[in-house]
Amino acid sequence: MKLAGNDMLIQSLINEGVEFIFGYPGGAALHIYDAIFNQSEIQHILVRHEQAATHAADGYTRATGKVGVVLVTSGPGATNAITGIATAFMDSIPMIVISGQVQSHLIGTDAFQETDMIGISRPIVKHSFTVESQESIPRIVKEAFFIATSGRPGPVVIDVPKDLTHPDFKFDFEYPKEAKIRSYNPPILPLEDQVKRAVEAILEAKQPVIYAGGGTISSNASNELIKFQKLTNAPVTNTLMGLGVFPATNKYFMGMLGMHGTYQANMAMHNADLIIAVGARFDDRITNTPEKFAPKAKIIHLDVDHSSVSKIIEADVAVFGQVKESLSAINKLLEASESQCQDLSAWHEQIQEWRSKHGLNHNLFKNKDDEHPILPQAAVQHIYQASEGKAFVTSDVGQHQMFTAQYYHFDEPRKWINSGGLGTMGFGLPSAMGAKLAFPEEEVICITGEGSIQMCIQELSTCAQYKLPIKIFNINNLALGMVKQWQDMNYDGRHSSISYEDSLPDFVKLAESFGHVGIKITKNSQLQDGIEEALSYKDKLVFVDIYVDPDEHVYPMLVAPEGSMKDMWLDKDLKT
Amino acid sequence: MENKPGALARVVGLFHQRGYNIDSLHVDPITDFSPYSFIEKELSITFKTDEISRLTIETTVSDSLMRQILRQINKLIEVLAVSNEKSTYLKGVLRDENLLR
Repeated sequence: MKLAGNDMLIQSLINEGVEFIFGYPGGAALHIYDAIFNQSEIQHILVRHEQAATHAADGYTRATGKVGVVLVTSGPGATNAITGIATAFMDSIPMIVISGQVQSHLIGTDAFQETDMIGISRPIVKHSFTVESQESIPRIVKEAFFIATSGRPGPVVIDVPKDLTHPDFKFDFEYPKEAKIRSYNPPILPLEDQVKRAVEAILEAKQPVIYAGGGTISSNASNELIKFQKLTNAPVTNTLMGLGVFPATNKYFMGMLGMHGTYQANMAMHNADLIIAVGARFDDRITNTPEKFAPKAKIIHLDVDHSSVSKIIEADVAVFGQVKESLSAINKLLEASESQCQDLSAWHEQIQEWRSKHGLNHNLFKNKDDEHPILPQAAVQHIYQASEGKAFVTSDVGQHQMFTAQYYHFDEPRKWINSGGLGTMGFGLPSAMGAKLAFPEEEVICITGEGSIQMCIQELSTCAQYKLPIKIFNINNLALGMVKQWQDMNYDGRHSSISYEDSLPDFVKLAESFGHVGIKITKNSQLQDGIEEALSYKDKLVFVDIYVDPDEHVYPMLVAPEGSMKDMWLDKDLKT
Repeated sequence: MENKPGALARVVGLFHQRGYNIDSLHVDPITDFSPYSFIEKELSITFKTDEISRLTIETTVSDSLMRQILRQINKLIEVLAVSNEKSTYLKGVLRDENLLR
């Protein structure tokens, strides 16, 4: 079969099983768009800004485990995609970003809409390719998918000069069956000796904690993790990225850990004699001051990425390989072992004591009293109840994100979709679009704030075009809440540049102007009915604007700088 | 590393991005492969002339940061092997477990 470069590119994507391309056309990408027009296997989703294309592809990937594909033009198309590429990179999300480039002979001449996409994106991609000949397109696409999805996943950019997609020049097309890259060979199976040493440490532990992160989700290792917990009887905490990989309603689950983690999870980490890190990377939002981190704990670290191990916290036992394979190997050895794990009942009692002392209050939703403003936590609890804990939930970044992580109990992986590493405001709505396109029959909820939603609010138009009945819950506190909280706590309440109260749009009217439904909630007594009404619209996007207490803070909160994981603010005037 | 356009920029960019300093840097294509036959053997490949470059970087850092730098460089897709006077990292081949802890 002979194909031109533009058709080769699209045919390669079809061969990879791509269902959607999220993109925005422009000069350098026009030949590729013509190839999209001439086929029917891939649906192109026209967003309103390239940042949203990357977030939508990202949300699609997080929800499905399949690779999201983005197509943008050169220059501003490419630069607008950068925030979304960096978001995917920080959370190890596979993504293919195809950027148009000016014609080969114009590269380096400051041509119209020319930018060095490979250079600009270099620090935030797993790898990138410049297409140098039409014949190399199938191989490059195959390699790009292999690199994006294997090892520690990440985004890959393919920069394609316009002349190499010209429809008049045709070449033999054969899509490679596999990608072989001699300088890239990520580990899959762990070494036997590493597994043995891990099991020895587990059998000795009296106060172990399983600390599981996003790598456990990307490795699809939820079942192996649940089995590992059963075999060890150890308590589990998840990172912000790992929520859902262990069922939140399981009695051994302690909640999220870290900056806004639960009291019991942070205390358990600090007092543990063994921490088993599974696909997690000890980032600064977890460890607090690394020198004071878990002083008594041995560390076992399961990861596919060498450079993540002993980067911040020195590991005593490292197990390199796909987390799924490493957990399976450990489980197998534990099952075969003649010795038993230690009796952990005293440890579980201790954790229960911490939980009863300062655990989160999950009954705030029972308050119907209109004398007091709505608590944002209560709003999230109502959303959890009304959606029966089964929805895909995306969020933006800030207080509403932390409240959702704390109060929406995720029992399955891939249901919680948020920007953990980069902390990208504007992520919530477009990522919900990606999840909804992948799962049209499932409830997809975006919990956002009036600050974040305005960063990608143009996508309300995309949702209208493709009829995406997402439910948006805007936790509206009239200010940039998390910044305000830091200003309250660290800057004597000097609220610098966090307020726009008088210039907020009427979100209900705004949603209605796109043909969506808008609901406004201002009182506790309206909360349950309003949220249930929103979820009752099966074919409509509903924007629910919930006015909450503007003075509420997120607690617990680790004390920084110089604090350890046991040092927390538990309330405005209560510190551990 | 593979002698491909952009490969050098990835290594140099990594040093800047991660806050490591470069004291000196030298790069050239390898013509004599005999010191690198262990790479060919371990990865089951055969090098051809002008395919591979050797990059020599001098930097002054602590041992733990050195280990981190080696691992970060080894992670780059186009790098085949990276070593200092103490350790050698090869793509996907776990040679000495003590190095990898």
